Amino acid sequence: MSNFSRMGDGFALDLTLDEAHILINLVEQLLELLGDSNFDHHYTNDDPFAQLMGLGAEIATPEDPVLLRLLPNAYADPEASADFRRYTEPTLRRHKSDALRSIRTELALIVDEIGGDESNTGGRVEELDGDVWLVALNDLRLALSVRLNIEADSFEKFELLPDEDPQKAVYAVYFWLGWLQENLLTAMIS
Amino acid sequence: MSTLTDTELNLDQLLDRPWVTVVWDDPVNLMTYVTYVFIKLFNFTPERAHELMMQVHNEGRAAVTTGSREEMERDVQRLHEHGLWATLQRDDKI
Repeated sequence: MSNFSRMGDGFALDLTLDEAHILINLVEQLLELLGDSNFDHHYTNDDPFAQLMGLGAEIATPEDPVLLRLLPNAYADPEASADFRRYTEPTLRRHKSDALRSIRTELALIVDEIGGDESNTGGRVEELDGDVWLVALNDLRLALSVRLNIEADSFEKFELLPDEDPQKAVYAVYFWLGWLQENLLTAMIS
Repeated sequence: MSTLTDTELNLDQLLDRPWVTVVWDDPVNLMTYVTYVFIKLFNFTPERAHELMMQVHNEGRAAVTTGSREEMERDVQRLHEHGLWATLQRDDKI
């Protein structure tokens, strides 16, 4: 049973091995999507001065709908939006990747703690940064929501899905992430 | 020689129309999370943060902050860092 609890200045998280593996898998998929290969290919500016200053050519609006949700346009006007993206998107990507890398390290500690011991059903990490976890869990939910086309009535649809539907498990993970995030918020606010 | 864009820009400056940061509704971000982010980023009281969150939820959007273009770009950037769907525009109420 997963759970966040307050511990001193930080938070502790209890997870089963399966839960830790699911989270690590999702984190790594999203890191790959936000990753370096994706990041670098936008910088095609040959101007050595622009490269020196770290200001690349225009960064294209992401084609992948998940990336577009995580790195959205700031203006209705495409030109103003492109300008904003050029100066801010690398920082935004780094912010999101850093949070995901941080929670991946902590999740790996849980997996290591449980190890190969079959009788050990769960593990715990402590001294977690609540804000980092909130942002990372939220980004994982946003990413899954795009893939699942989540709408306001999706929970009702999920409940009506037959168990043999291959999407059912993915929906279950999505709603579990929401529960986990709410659980962390409750621990942070109380 | 003044271009059309310059003229529009000057008009906006003359009217002193501020910029606003708009947060849009989405079916994913939890209501408690949106409220938490508003308090964290903008130092709103819990009551004000809740009120704005409900406006986003019920009306589909809410203007959360007002100021210079540079300030609003910073607010939009921070909202994007937290996964909220935000844009900036000239305040159209004036």
